[in-house]
Amino acid sequence: MATTSPTETEFGEVSRIKGIVFKYVSFVASIVGILALGALLAYVFWDALGLESAGTGWYLAYTGTLLVPLLAFFAYARTRPAVVAGAFELFSMTLAGVLLTGAGVIILSIIASPEVWFAYFLTVVGPIVGLYVYGQYDRKATWVGLAMLGVLLLGPVVGTLGLGVLTTIGALLGSPGVYFLSLVVPAAAVAAYLSTERLDFSRRRSLGIGVGLPVLAIAAVPLVDTVPAISRSVWLIGLVLFGLPVGFTVANTARTRDRWPAFAFPAILVLGFLAGEAVVTTIGATAPTPWLDWQYVTSGPSQTAAEAGLYPAIIGSIFLIVLVSVFTFVFGVGAAIYLEEYAPGSGPLAAITRIIKVNISNLAGVPSVVYGLLGLGIFVNIESQLGPFTYAGFGVGTVLTAAMTLSLLILPIVIISAQEAIRSVPDSLRQASYGMGATRWQTIRNVVLPRSLPGILTGTILALGRAIGETAPLIMIGAATTKFSPPSGLFGKLTAMPMQIFAWAFEPSDEFRYGVVAAGVVTLLIVMLTMNSVAILVRNKYQQEAN
Amino acid sequence: MSNEGQAPDLAGDRGFRSVRESAYKYALAGCAVLSVLTTVSIIGVLVLDAAQFFAEVPVLEFLTGTTFSPNLEPVSFGVLPLVLGTILITIGAGALALPTGVLTAIYLSEYASDRTRSILKPMLEVLAGVPTVVYGYFAIVYVTPALNTVITGLNGFLGTEFGTLGLFNGLSASIVVGIMIIPMVSSISEDAMSSVPDSLREAGYGLGATKFNVSLTIVVPAAVSGIASSFILAISRAIGETMAVVLAAGSQPPDIPPVQQAFGIPYVAPADVIGLFTESSATMTVAMVNIAQGDISGGSTAYQSLFAIGLTLFVITLAMNVVSDLVASRYREVYE
Repeated sequence: MATTSPTETEFGEVSRIKGIVFKYVSFVASIVGILALGALLAYVFWDALGLESAGTGWYLAYTGTLLVPLLAFFAYARTRPAVVAGAFELFSMTLAGVLLTGAGVIILSIIASPEVWFAYFLTVVGPIVGLYVYGQYDRKATWVGLAMLGVLLLGPVVGTLGLGVLTTIGALLGSPGVYFLSLVVPAAAVAAYLSTERLDFSRRRSLGIGVGLPVLAIAAVPLVDTVPAISRSVWLIGLVLFGLPVGFTVANTARTRDRWPAFAFPAILVLGFLAGEAVVTTIGATAPTPWLDWQYVTSGPSQTAAEAGLYPAIIGSIFLIVLVSVFTFVFGVGAAIYLEEYAPGSGPLAAITRIIKVNISNLAGVPSVVYGLLGLGIFVNIESQLGPFTYAGFGVGTVLTAAMTLSLLILPIVIISAQEAIRSVPDSLRQASYGMGATRWQTIRNVVLPRSLPGILTGTILALGRAIGETAPLIMIGAATTKFSPPSGLFGKLTAMPMQIFAWAFEPSDEFRYGVVAAGVVTLLIVMLTMNSVAILVRNKYQQEAN
Repeated sequence: MSNEGQAPDLAGDRGFRSVRESAYKYALAGCAVLSVLTTVSIIGVLVLDAAQFFAEVPVLEFLTGTTFSPNLEPVSFGVLPLVLGTILITIGAGALALPTGVLTAIYLSEYASDRTRSILKPMLEVLAGVPTVVYGYFAIVYVTPALNTVITGLNGFLGTEFGTLGLFNGLSASIVVGIMIIPMVSSISEDAMSSVPDSLREAGYGLGATKFNVSLTIVVPAAVSGIASSFILAISRAIGETMAVVLAAGSQPPDIPPVQQAFGIPYVAPADVIGLFTESSATMTVAMVNIAQGDISGGSTAYQSLFAIGLTLFVITLAMNVVSDLVASRYREVYE
């Protein structure tokens, strides 16, 4: 470049020092925030895992068995993108499987009892899944979509009316029976379908998987009974919600030869831990005493640091996030489709479209505490008479109030990201679909949505990650800071992980400040990390397919 | 399938189909209208309750009063101390985040290799993704003690006598809020800088400018509307920030510093302002959280003041967002 040439005597010496200094100053500026956050995260993990109390022997053992092999793996994978992608996929799907199982157990067996789940499975979930499958099978059945909508609206009513009879049937089956019928059997069908369609397995192998899953579910019961922490219900839910995604990822990774070394990553993790544990017990080194342990995630809050736990808050957060994801996905994607596909872009009505768009982007900038006031005003302290019905809100600090408030909060973000995903679908695809005689809705359903779904999912999951960490709106609607039991239902009062962290953060004792709260922060961060890595996974997959 | 124009209705479901098409259209339009309803409800809720509040406390008293104590007798609802707290935290956070964010944006758009950029950008996004309550916890448990160590170290080394920070202080709150708004400044500014066409840069190089000259005298001025709009958005975010400040800055609003006179011009001594950062510095959002924790059953003046403060906050942030949009679109340099 001419800039550094020494011949420019006309203008005097060109100083390179200024430029070099500036380059490094701006580099430091761009990493200073990252480094600061990194240091803070390192501290909080250190405290939560109680690593201070570990002996030198423990560190040496784990350096040898876990850290060195991991570093070696990273060094090997550095130049092999397929291995990195495979390892990331295995890792995040395993985390996601754990999270899904946790959410499944919480929703299906703690919040809704197995009998209640069975009632609504028969009236809502089952028919919808059945209709969907039929719609895939018989493409000409145009009534399927509307029928699904009808089931979605009428099913809950029928389920609620017939709750007495249906729960009796559910009780006769027993909870493992309910989960076997409602989860394992459909999952077997899904597994068989996926293995033929996505993994190109032979029909016989797929059939084997379809039959094998229920057989495995029953055959392993004697083994499961020997483990006290896992009940039969948890086993069945876990088999479906953990086994299915993880099994699919493993099979998918095993399919491409390039990715085989990726299996070394989970192997190193598992074997490293086992070997480390073995070495530590043989040499008798002091192991750390983590604050974040099984006791912590299964017990309620307490005045005594050693007994304090996050259980009600974890349940509350997961309950909340499930409801919020349903609300925001339906309304967010709906609004985005309308704005991108239907809304008039010209003519007299275009102004309305523009107002809605500007409005949404401004809503995204409203502080979360103001959304809390909105929730307080329209879901809590309200009483209005609509004909014979009295609407008196959903109660102070209830699950439903909190879920609605958080949904309104993240809805603009979901809409904006879904709009971007829909906009990125090339117009030529739409034109081709119209050219085939498809109507607008058929084009949206068969062309636009499948193509933009990964982008929509990524945006939604990232927004949900934001919702799970929100505290201010929950305070404004009167959610409890400390609760000793999980929410009892939609109208039960709840506490959530960030609320509990907020309540504990003012505790003066070091055991709370550097122990219990740190463990809470780490739990919250791990849940968010899992959600975000799943979002990244979806996005990466999408980019690969788009290229 | 033939349902266009004059084609015969072979499938016999044209009526059904058009009903279905409009059913979906109106259902989806309903979803979009929900967002407008949200805005209307926000404004409605805020204005209705704030109106009841202003019926009891005059607007002027609210906007110019210098003490805020909603629960202790004598009650008074002067919002000024809270506004001062908000301004302090915002200035502190802005002082950290705005220069850092712009330098980051310059580095990312002008200097960084593609690989560095692809690593740094997602990591910067993480800064904005950490829940704010976690930032608040970091501030009281790690940042404040660390700052106190630095201050005592400085005092020992330089022989100065800076006071140490209180348990709750504005400085640590400003720092964590600053960290969390860095990505907002950097990503919007970087977008603006990357959209400056390369021909301008090349023209600069052709005239013998260094990369440093090009970055500062060509790229930054050309992207100034984007940078300005990122500043406004980041500041608006800092103003609305709640949990980090609730935890780190404490519940006492700052004392309004004494106004001094020099040659007839009133001024506030800079040392007084800096001193405010070492003490508790409750903001508007902190006051809202405190009131909400005390009483949300409705009816009392304290409860209604919640909505008055909320309205103030909403108006300020909304105005800033609108201005940011205007700046970005009105002063954008358009290149072919």
